[in-house]
Formats: sequence, C-alpha cells, structure tokens
Amino acid sequence: MLERLFAEHRLQLEVDVHMSLLDERPVDETPVPEPQDPELIEEQVPFRPRALVRSERIEILLAAAAGVTGSGVMCLLFDWTHVLTFAIWALLIFLVSIYLLARDSQSPIVATDRLITTLVWTSGGIAVAVLAWMLGYVVVKGIAGLNYEYLTSDMSKVGPLDDGGGVFHALVGTLEQMLIASVLSIPIAILTAVYLHEIRGRLAGIVRFVIDAMSGLPSIVAGLFIYTVWVLQGRGPSGLAAGLALAILMIPTVTRTAEEMLKTIDDGLRESALALGAPQWRSVMQVVLPTARSGLITASILGVARAVGETAPVLLTAFGSSSINWSPFNGPQADLPLYIYQLLRQPNPAQIARAWSGALVLVLLVLILFVLARVIGERGARVRGGSR
Amino acid sequence: MTTVQSPQTAETTAANRQVVSSEILPEELHPSSRIDATDVTCWFGKRKVLERCTLSMEPGEVTALIGPSGCGKSTFLRSLNRMHELVPVAAIAGTIELDGVDIYSEEMSPTEVRSRIGMVFQKPNPFPAMSIADNVLAGLSLSGMSNEDPKALVEQCLRRAGLWAEVSDRLNEGGMSLSGGQQQRLCIARALAVHPDVLLMDEPCSALDPISTRVIEQTIRELCEEITIVIVTHNMQQAQRVSDKCAFFLVESIGDPGRIVEAGPTTQVFENPSDPRTYDYVTGQFG
Ligand SMILES: Nc1ncnc2c1ncn2[C@@H]1O[C@H](COP(=O)(O)OP(=O)(O)OP(=O)(O)O)[C@@H](O)[C@H]1O
Ligand SMILES: [Mg+2]
Repeated sequence: MLERLFAEHRLQLEVDVHMSLLDERPVDETPVPEPQDPELIEEQVPFRPRALVRSERIEILLAAAAGVTGSGVMCLLFDWTHVLTFAIWALLIFLVSIYLLARDSQSPIVATDRLITTLVWTSGGIAVAVLAWMLGYVVVKGIAGLNYEYLTSDMSKVGPLDDGGGVFHALVGTLEQMLIASVLSIPIAILTAVYLHEIRGRLAGIVRFVIDAMSGLPSIVAGLFIYTVWVLQGRGPSGLAAGLALAILMIPTVTRTAEEMLKTIDDGLRESALALGAPQWRSVMQVVLPTARSGLITASILGVARAVGETAPVLLTAFGSSSINWSPFNGPQADLPLYIYQLLRQPNPAQIARAWSGALVLVLLVLILFVLARVIGERGARVRGGSR
Repeated sequence: MTTVQSPQTAETTAANRQVVSSEILPEELHPSSRIDATDVTCWFGKRKVLERCTLSMEPGEVTALIGPSGCGKSTFLRSLNRMHELVPVAAIAGTIELDGVDIYSEEMSPTEVRSRIGMVFQKPNPFPAMSIADNVLAGLSLSGMSNEDPKALVEQCLRRAGLWAEVSDRLNEGGMSLSGGQQQRLCIARALAVHPDVLLMDEPCSALDPISTRVIEQTIRELCEEITIVIVTHNMQQAQRVSDKCAFFLVESIGDPGRIVEAGPTTQVFENPSDPRTYDYVTGQFG
C-alpha cells in the first residue's frame, strides 16, 4: 500500500518533470532508450566495503608476527615460562610495531590513529579474555562433579571424608532468597526512581542522598542490621531474613539504574501524554514505564547480580545448612555462595571439588536468569505491540 | 500535578466524557469552541517573556501565530492548554476563557482543559511502546475515557489525519516504524481521538517534506470546520494558505517581553498590514 503510494507520487513527479521539460523545449528527437530485457541485466552481488586496504592489513599481520616471534625469542633467551609474561611482551611489541610501520608507510597522524584504535580493540579483548579465562577456569574445575546426583541431593548424610552429596539445598535456598529479595526490592526501587525523576518531589534530594549512601553500604552491615532487628528478636535465622538483607543491598542499585533509564526517556513523550488530558500517574504507568521497560529489566538484572553472589549477609541471617529446608520462613537455610565458601575451607579435596561445582552452578544459574529476563522482556514488548 | 476536583466539577467532567465517547461520526460532533485570551503575561522565573497578549480565536477558524524566534509564540500556545505551568518556574497572569469559562479557574482541572484543548508538537513523538492503533487510542485510556467501538474510532481518526491509506494494513506495528511525516500525522490522529474542541499546533510541519506538509495543511483545512485550530508557523506561505486569522508576535529589543504587534484577518495582515514592522516581517525584510 505504502509502496504503491510512494510509487504513485514518484510517477507523478516524473510526469511533472517531463511535462516541464516538454514545455521548455520543442519536441526533440532523442530516442527513448529501449527498456532492457531484465534477463540480460546481471545480478548484483552485495558487498561490505572494507575499512582497511590490503597493505594495511598486511602491516597488521606483520606487527602481530613481530610481536609473537619477538616475545617468543625473549622468553627463550631469558628462560621466562609464564604464559602471561609472553602475552604482555607480545602485546607491547605488537603495539610498537603497528605504530612504527604505520608511521613509516604513511604519517605520524595515521600511526597515532592506528595505535589508539588498536589499543581500544585490545582493551576490549583483554576484558573479554579475562572473563572467558575466569569462566573457563570455573567450568574446568567444576564440570567433573556436575551430574544429576549432585544437582538433586543435599549434604545431610555426607561425612567429612565421603564422596557424593550435592548442591540441591543451596540451589533451592538461593532461588527462594533471590525471589524474596526481588519481590521486596524491585517494586520499591522502581517506585523510588519514579519519585526521584517523575514526581521530582521536594524530598528528592534527600532520598537520592540516602540511596547513594546505601549503595556504599558494606554488605556485611546489611546482614548485621537484619541479624539484630530480626534474627535476634526471637524470629531466628531463615531464608526470609536473608531475603531482607539482600533486598537492602538491591534497592540502591536498582533505584539508581532505573532512574538513569527514566532519564533517557524523551520529555516530549511525557508532555504528549499530559497534553492528551492524562493525569500524571497514568502518563507514568502507560507511557513512561512501558517505554523504559527494557531499561528497567536491565536495572533489575543488575540488582539481582549484585545480590546473588553475597556471602556475608546470608551467613548472618540464614546461617547456612547442610540439609534441604524448603521453607524460607522457618529455620536455617543454605545458599550457593555460602555453600561454596563453607566447602572451600574444608581440607578434603572432595569437598573442594564440590565447591567448584557449586561455583559452576551459580554461574549457570545467573546466566539462565539473565537470558530469561531478556526473553520475557522482549516477548512482552512484542505482545504489547502486536495486540488489538 | 493532579488537581483535586470539586465534586460538582467531577460530575460535569463525567457527563462530558459520556457525550464525547458516544460520538463517533463527524456530523454528530459538537460545534467548535472559542478561546479568548485577555492580557496574558507569562514569566519563566523572574523573566517576563510575554506581555499583555490579547487575542480571540474564533470557532471554525484557523489562527496562525507568526513572529521571529524567541518571541513567545510557543509560550503563548502552551498557556492556552495549561502546558505552560509544567515548567516548574513558570507563572502566568491574565485570563484565558474557553467558551466563556476561565481555564485557570477552580471550575476546570488541568486534565479537563487538556483533553478539550489538544496539542500537536513540533517534533513528532508517537509512544514507542504502543502500536499504531494503540497510539491513536492512547488519549482515551490516558484520560480514562472509554469507547464502544475502538476500531471505528481508529479508522475515523486516521482518515481525518490523512494517514489511513498508508497504515490500514499495519495497524499493529509499532508507532516508531513510520516515517517522520507519517508519525506527525499519527500524532494528529492521536490528538483527534479524544475529540478536542480546540487543537493547538506548534510548528507541526517544520520537520516534514513538502508532500507531507501539503497533506497536513489539507487536513487542517478540513478539520477547522469542526475544531478551532491555532497554529504556530515560521512559514509565511503556510500561514497564508491555512489560516483565516493571523497574529504577529515581536520582541522589540533584546530583553523586552514579546508582544502581539498586530492581529487580524490573514489577508489584511499580509497584504495591508497596519504596522510597518509587520510589513517588514511578512515581506521578509526583517532584521
Ligand atoms: N523552559 C523555559 N525556561 C526558561 N525560559 C524559557 C523556557 N522556554 C522558553 N523560554 C524563553 O521564553 C522565550 C520565548 O520562548 P518561546 O519558546 O515561546 O519562543 P518561540 O516564539 O516559540 O520561538 P521559536 O520560534 O524559536 O520556537 C525565549 O526567550 C526563551 O528563552
Ligand atoms: Mg517555539
């Protein structure tokens, strides 16, 4: 429909142009070009233009080769054996060679540009490499012990030197505590962000200050706080207490990130909503928050990520446990970081192997939660756009 | 920002909404309204940017506001539907009457004023989280109205905004998937869906190509039979094409507030202005 309309417009314009040409010139005899047979026109092959010409690509390869060989030779000469030493020298020689080659073949300005581009790339590469290395380490150490039995049993019947046992009780604890902490903190945090950036109430300055102070709060202090006002008041340790402590840690992260996300929303949208006769709360609920949806999900994910690896507050509030406790409201409960922490301190290699498997489970759990949050966020957006 | 309504106002509002929501066909529309602005003065903080502007915008007419940049046209326009007060430091004096009722009085809440006096902004801004159809209906749900036949309303509003033919087969796509000109017409459709009595337009065509501009100008001419329209424009030809009445705003020297130098029928303002400064401006000989 749209294309047809455009086509018609274009046709109209072309006709107009022809008409005006005809007005000015007497009818001339330029032969109208024969329309070409579409079969004869060659199929076009799409290509992406390259940023670097061949000589530049060769220079980069040369520099890389210089880095590897130079550093290799140095390692042999000086008897360095560590991989990192090799990598650092290779990188340094690579950067210097890049600069020198570009300076000689082109100019110092080009060389500086090339050097900085390369530095940016390598910094990104290093960040990814460190992360991959760490993850790889956890996977290598933890994969051996990860099996069905490990995932579905707890540690209640495992003696100090036994094999067997598993992570189930800690997994359940982590899931329940994170659920409690999220349900408590995310709505509060998002409403606080709305207060800070949408309502802009008179207390906004104070609230922002308190939130900033909270984000600097050491996690053990949050644990101690709940320990004093909840656990010691006759309520005892529980998953709920841990959830409370973790919620305290999540609120500032989620609030500040959510506020940043609300800031990215164009004021024009708010004004348009109000100009349609909306009270402010409807403008927030129906326009601002849905538009910020994916940003708010990111904020929540960051909050969960902040809390899911905490050990100290859980130690003080849920105490940890070696057997499964389904109820988060009653009695001590384990969770993954605490499980890892407690097992790693044991002398027995079987315990330490279990701790590594626990770390792998924690990493995988976080990964799954993140992917789930993204998928739900995007599916929701699509359903919203596609309904009616 | 929500003002507490007196019970009596709430009733009239509800009655109003019922009438509005039962109307679908253009011929059933209420006759359009008039706005009378008297001695309107606007401040941002201590700075007076507009002084004693008096202008009446008649029913069924298009009123164009023209004048150089920074002379307070947008400010004046935004004071007409209580958008001015959204700026925290903004203040206003004078009276603005919609069909004889002061819109700044206790009798009207800002939300009621804004749903009766719609607005289209310079930059098209459809709601990104909503589909095209939902964008058109946004005003209804945002102001708590309901409609028995949303589909028909969507079609009617899109037709009146001159967009129906282009989007009828993709109403469920996101509002941001349209071109700039289409987005602007979507915003016009969105403003029409709440059946405003008055439509304020702040340079609605400044971001558009000539073809979209022409479509919107046509739309304006068609709408003005039912809706009182006030439009800010920098385009003299556009002012002449679409408006019946014209008001020329000017800041005389830097630091002064803007004032209305001349207002009258468009033909008179453009062809036979009584003020030499108006003559200079409309003939393009301005500073
Ligand atoms: N939010 C604001 N805070 C403070 N001053 C403002 C604000 N908005 C506008 N002003 C000032 O008010 C004066 C009038 O602005 P206004 O936007 O009404 O001009 P305009 O006639 O619409 O100009 P333009 O044609 O460029 O859109 C200007 O001097 C401007 O600096
Ligand atoms: Mg303006």
